[in-house]
Amino acid sequence: MATETAESKSFGSNGNQMMFSLFDTIIRSPLNRFMEQAVDEGKIPIGYTCSYIPRMILSAKNLVPFRVFAPGVSSTEMADTYLPSTICSYTKSILDFAINGRYDFLKGWVLTSSCQHMSRFFDNLKHTVNPPFIKIIDLPNRVSESAIRWMMAEMNELRTDIQTHFQITVSDEDLNEAINRHNDSVQLLSAIGELRKNKTPVISGTEFHKLMMAALVAPEAFLFKPLSDIKDALSKRELKEDYRARVILVGGQLDDPAYINIIEQSGALVVSDRICTGSIPGLDPIPHGTDPIERISAHTLTKTSCPRMMDNFQARLAAIISAYETFQADGIIIEAIKFCDTWGLEARELTDSLREKGIPVLKLEREYRITGEGQLKTRIQAFIESMGK
Amino acid sequence: MSKNFYAGCDVGSTTGKAVIMNDKKILAMAIVESEIDPELTARNALLKAMAQVRELNRLEDMTYLVGTGYGRTEVPFAHKNVSEISCHALGAYFIDKKIRTIVDIGGQDIKGISLHDNGTVKEFVMNDKCAAGTGKFFEAMGRTFKVDLTEFSKLAGKAKKSISVTSQCSVFAESEVISLIAKKNPPENIALGIHESVAKRCYTLLKRVGLNQRITITGGCAKNKTLVKTLKQILKMDIAELSVDPQIIGALGAAVFAKQNGK
Repeated sequence: MATETAESKSFGSNGNQMMFSLFDTIIRSPLNRFMEQAVDEGKIPIGYTCSYIPRMILSAKNLVPFRVFAPGVSSTEMADTYLPSTICSYTKSILDFAINGRYDFLKGWVLTSSCQHMSRFFDNLKHTVNPPFIKIIDLPNRVSESAIRWMMAEMNELRTDIQTHFQITVSDEDLNEAINRHNDSVQLLSAIGELRKNKTPVISGTEFHKLMMAALVAPEAFLFKPLSDIKDALSKRELKEDYRARVILVGGQLDDPAYINIIEQSGALVVSDRICTGSIPGLDPIPHGTDPIERISAHTLTKTSCPRMMDNFQARLAAIISAYETFQADGIIIEAIKFCDTWGLEARELTDSLREKGIPVLKLEREYRITGEGQLKTRIQAFIESMGK
Repeated sequence: MSKNFYAGCDVGSTTGKAVIMNDKKILAMAIVESEIDPELTARNALLKAMAQVRELNRLEDMTYLVGTGYGRTEVPFAHKNVSEISCHALGAYFIDKKIRTIVDIGGQDIKGISLHDNGTVKEFVMNDKCAAGTGKFFEAMGRTFKVDLTEFSKLAGKAKKSISVTSQCSVFAESEVISLIAKKNPPENIALGIHESVAKRCYTLLKRVGLNQRITITGGCAKNKTLVKTLKQILKMDIAELSVDPQIIGALGAAVFAKQNGK
């Protein structure tokens, strides 16, 4: 297990700023200090891009999963050379970072064919950077028994390829341990997330997303203590900010808490989120069982609720409505990155379906990096006002 | 002070607008050019409007002041700020209770707004990716013809037919217009084509919020008669002309908010 740093031991009673500043540091750059330490200790960091890639396999033995993001990206000139203008800015941003060597600490990549943009990312990453280990998982478009069997075959192949390339053995026991660590981590985050149901939440959506993102880009072992400390400290905390409305954020890739902060600065507290890096349904633990590959495959395929999947719109809609009721939200904000076909289409259907049920909805199109902050604030404020808040 | 004065100040990218009301009617309105500092723009607009009200000498004497527009948080002595979307809705509704759809064409953005029967916002959309279809776009096009906005509108009004300008991007549209002029196309026909491209953009936004009668147009570009005429033709619907300057509707809505909150 990776050792704790002095910083991760130090907070708990030193105030909220200190607690969250650690997580701010972790998500400021791809190679955060914990990842750096893990690399120094001989760990093998593997980059991945989608919730359909089971990070438990990438955290078995001495592997460390890293959910690829591009914090602070300003422009994508290098990626623009290779990708057409209709590819989403998340894809462009991470390709640009890759070409510019920002992910050189990664020893391998595991991607999925979850959308055309990710498939083009795979092609161009191979063409430009040509990482020594790169694999793309062929993902079914439906959830069924046969799809789970397909996924199991893909996972077994991934395990074999990892073992061969990195000259390690990933046993069932290693995978079971990784599942247990994953469950401990998500249960801790889930317990913190539950606090957002309170009428006066003690944690903002921005702060919670910092924790979520840190958990996706730093080795789990480093974060147990800081997350436990935060959970304890939050029980004594009072959130001072005066919010006018409670909203749920729904959409695709969103890994910058600053975007949520703009929403909250405008008066809408984000009490729950159904985004790729969010809490619904990302914080469900993996059930107990025997075959770890089967457990991981079934969990990944059935619990990840993405519009790329056919035939389960009603289930996705129901999950959002359930969160709306449970978290006592006033409205729903749907965000989609421009040119994201998956979420662009879903946003339209979701908007209509939610409004039919009398739920106020604001639909936002955005770029991966934050642009047009003023206009975003105007939209959020007008949305709050239109709800009579 | 025994009298109540309610004010709204709309700090836009191109102009600052202020409206002062009492309990019964609009007392004063003012429009000023925007400064780099939005607070200065707000102050200038408010002082210009205050100069028309004898009993008002200081900004602090305003019973209730609401800021709106992109600089809404910078309005000095404001008691509250409200988004320009809500303010345009309330301002237009205050003038005409039958208004249900608004297209607001400002200096650097364009909005489609639909209203509930009580004048509150039902749905809105706005452009924010570029200046296409906004006042800045018209300014850039007018520069190409070396005329101001009023003359540009008049020029388009003289056209016998229109020549399409297909580029939505202001920069590319300028290049396209220069090419069309170089090919000796009549300037008035090109100018009408430009107005049609903006009107079509308005049509798209309005379709997204729902085209419910009665429709009106607000913002500085609402003063462009050729644009209003072209939009009517494209919508195949009438556009209600408001009884006050359409450019001050946002500030008026803010003043109405001030009156509702300050009473």
